Amino acid sequence: MEWRVAFRSLGIPLMGEGAAMAICLAPALYYHDGTAGVIALAALATFLVGLAFMLLIPRGSTQRDNRVSYVTVTLMWLALVLFGTLPFLATRSVNSLTDAVFESMSGFTSTGATIFSQVETLPPSVLLWRSMSNWIGGFGIILLVLAVVPSLGINKFSLYTAESSGADNTGKTTYHTGSMVRRTLAVYVILTVCFIVALWIAGMTLWEAVNLTFANISTGGFSIYGDSISRFTTLQQFILATAMFIGGINFALLFNLLTFRWKELSHKLDQFGFYVMLLVLSVSFTVLALRLHEGYNWSDAVRYGVVQTVSVLTTTGSVVADTNLWWTPIVFLFLVLCTCGGMAGSTTGGVKVMRVLILFRNVNNILSNRLHPNAVNPVRLNGKPVSQDIITNVMVISLVYAMTMVAGLLMLMTVGVGSTEAIGAVFGCITSYGPGLGDCGGFGSYTAFPMVGKWICTALMLLGRLECITVFILFIPGFWRRR
Amino acid sequence: MMRYSFSNMVRIDSWRFNFRLIARLLGMLLVILALSMVVPVLVSVVYADGSQFGLILSGVLILAMGLLLRNFVGVGATFELHDREGLWYTLIIWLVVPIMGALPYLFTSSVHSFTDAAFESFSGFTTTGSSIMTGLDDAPKGLLVWRSTSQWVGGLGLILFVVAILRRLNAGAAKLYESEFSGTLQRRLHPHMSRNVQYMWRVYILLTLAMFILLLLGGNGFVDSFCLALSTVSTGGFMTHMSGLAGLSSYSIGVVTVFMFLAGVNLAVLFNLFLGHFRRVRKDDEFRSYGVAFLIAVAICSLAFIVSGVSVGQSLKFSVFHIASTASTCGFYTNPPAVWPTVVSVVTIVILFAGASAGSTGGGIKIKRLMILTKHIHNYFVGMIHPHAVMCVKVGGARVEEEYISRVFAFVFLYALFVIMGSFVLTMCGLDIPNAFCMASANMSNLGPSPIINNMGGALDYVALHPVGKWTMIVLMLAGRLEIFALVAALMRVYWKSR
Repeated sequence: MEWRVAFRSLGIPLMGEGAAMAICLAPALYYHDGTAGVIALAALATFLVGLAFMLLIPRGSTQRDNRVSYVTVTLMWLALVLFGTLPFLATRSVNSLTDAVFESMSGFTSTGATIFSQVETLPPSVLLWRSMSNWIGGFGIILLVLAVVPSLGINKFSLYTAESSGADNTGKTTYHTGSMVRRTLAVYVILTVCFIVALWIAGMTLWEAVNLTFANISTGGFSIYGDSISRFTTLQQFILATAMFIGGINFALLFNLLTFRWKELSHKLDQFGFYVMLLVLSVSFTVLALRLHEGYNWSDAVRYGVVQTVSVLTTTGSVVADTNLWWTPIVFLFLVLCTCGGMAGSTTGGVKVMRVLILFRNVNNILSNRLHPNAVNPVRLNGKPVSQDIITNVMVISLVYAMTMVAGLLMLMTVGVGSTEAIGAVFGCITSYGPGLGDCGGFGSYTAFPMVGKWICTALMLLGRLECITVFILFIPGFWRRR
Repeated sequence: MMRYSFSNMVRIDSWRFNFRLIARLLGMLLVILALSMVVPVLVSVVYADGSQFGLILSGVLILAMGLLLRNFVGVGATFELHDREGLWYTLIIWLVVPIMGALPYLFTSSVHSFTDAAFESFSGFTTTGSSIMTGLDDAPKGLLVWRSTSQWVGGLGLILFVVAILRRLNAGAAKLYESEFSGTLQRRLHPHMSRNVQYMWRVYILLTLAMFILLLLGGNGFVDSFCLALSTVSTGGFMTHMSGLAGLSSYSIGVVTVFMFLAGVNLAVLFNLFLGHFRRVRKDDEFRSYGVAFLIAVAICSLAFIVSGVSVGQSLKFSVFHIASTASTCGFYTNPPAVWPTVVSVVTIVILFAGASAGSTGGGIKIKRLMILTKHIHNYFVGMIHPHAVMCVKVGGARVEEEYISRVFAFVFLYALFVIMGSFVLTMCGLDIPNAFCMASANMSNLGPSPIINNMGGALDYVALHPVGKWTMIVLMLAGRLEIFALVAALMRVYWKSR
């Protein structure tokens, strides 16, 4: 296998990460938190390693072995996470490597689960690095889905289905990789700037606005406060909810929306429609339940209901109130919602509404086909038939996802995490939602988890982010066999 | 065969509801139901337990209704069945028969409301075994026998009665049969459907008799042995004492364990076993997977118990019993060890979802489906590495069609969906999430009262459950028993539209 190709492709991401770390120097210098020196070192180290990968590793053969793609994707995330621990370790904000990896993984998978019970005590540079890691992670996954995977030529068993990857229903790519990267980056940056300005105008300080925008547009969910976003005003929370909602939309769709390409849009709204419908239904339930069962007044019920439900469905993980105390059905609904996740090709985690939609339509199809065995009646998405490969792919991924959850639950319980926390942690980590149930839910943190438990959660985050299959394939014995 | 696309598939021939046929089938089943009440009535008369009147009254009512439907309404029925009707009839039969079967509970005033009676009856016919009855030790013997009888009748499936008796159904029989066992890839014992079903019945009766006699030899009372045999072989799980099977001797527990295990095996395999075709039994890959899964689960559970300080003997004994009870979805409980490690809970849940073998009386997703899924997923991974490889899924020596695999996936998806929706309703009824999930999955898999997340049997939980929760559980039991498709199809517009 062409290891060189895999390692060489780590170069640019690592250099980018180093540059991002350098940005964290700004708050370090501005607030004089005394971390400027070590952060600069960490940034330099990361950048140099990236550069070394770029310069020292010769180009591999261009003939692609599709195994390299899988290795590259996983390796890329691991490298980002590993070097992302440097700021935590260098500033001595964490006690152990485990915690640093957990926090970094949580950042780059845009999960937002934290091991810090007192976030306020962290130096500003580290706080910005956490938000930044969310932002990079969010962007990374969009790039991966929209640009990298289609260009790697693993389309037949495309990990990311249909319209998500700018590919049509048959899995054929319709965009040029380079232009896709530019478009996505433009949309992402413009949106980020807009929300920073909006939040600033709505009365946040620039520091808060930057951090929270970074963490919420990427549907990550880190906050610079221990009580997440609950201290902000209604308007600010709604702006944040809008950011999350937009973060949950397919970025190819967003691009078309922002550039007024209505024609491209009009017949591609199946997934979006389902996403909105799911959101409206669950928001109505939550608001009603909060009003009628929990006894909040209408304005609070609407605020908490809308913001929290959006945060859950988009797997952001920002918290407006202690959800642990809410009525059980709401909490249960949240577990289901975060498993659904947002649209494919967005920054969200979970199974993605696209897949859920395909699953539903497929079931519907199979049942009607029992009645009319000879009818030609394919599953359709946006009016076009979906190929059987993609349906199989969706079913396999969903099932493997569910099996991973069960395995994670089994392991967490075995290492001594309580059943409520274990259930919460599995859902929180694999779907990249973040908060779980009980101690690690609401405003809580994962501090109290045993070390092995933290590693299991870290693994779940990676698996969830890369949709299980990409990682699991590396563990298939036949994968490494010499050809 | 006419070709049609979906848009113009309307009006090929006008579909009418063949209500004479369904009346005929229903009537026949009700007569059988009334006949099956003979034993409970005899028991109640012999023991003079005060339930004679209620049992006889409900028996006569059911008989009268059955005869009315069969001999008056159903006269002159044409024995023709379309696919859609097969699903409908199955559903109607599965709704009417358990509701009629609820009469004895009401007439003997053993339960307080219609909901409770329906819950108990549905739980019986679907071989679930969840119970809302509290004073089992003092309950009238006749009624206890009736509970177990209802499980035994429901065990092989109500449709199988019809198919076994009505030879004139011919091709229609297969359609009905499939709508009850939604295509579990059954291997037929005999090419002719009604003969096939008769063989299945023979195995079933033989198993029951054998177990009954073995239990009697172990010194158990007549009623206890009889009920236990009926409930075990049908993988039902109704018990005659509040303490479950804790009062039984180790010999009887052993007998129950063996028969629970057997009840989870495909009847075709048991048939071969009886005929002495051991090679065929050994080569049956579903049976092997079932056995291997059983052993692994037992090993994990007993290890977990031993680690948490339970003696080796008790750990092994309980684990074997518990896993046999869960894997076959019988759902019996006995004296559990004092501690209940969480690992045991998780293993229990996994095993409970997996369920028994296809073609057995047990519930769950079924081992065969899981085998198809795992093999397919394996192929998928290999396909990712070797994009041009041509592979197929083989189970039982035969290739499984792509289309069928896709159906299995859909089944699992729906299964999960039902459990999720059921748990959601249960959380609204005031249960916490782990308990709601366990209760929903236990009923969906037709398991019943066996302990899952703590060492208490779940029997008492149902008593306080809100009626909405009880009806939801009834829906889940029915969905689990009918393997979902018949139930979901009834909700689909396509199945309502007249062509």
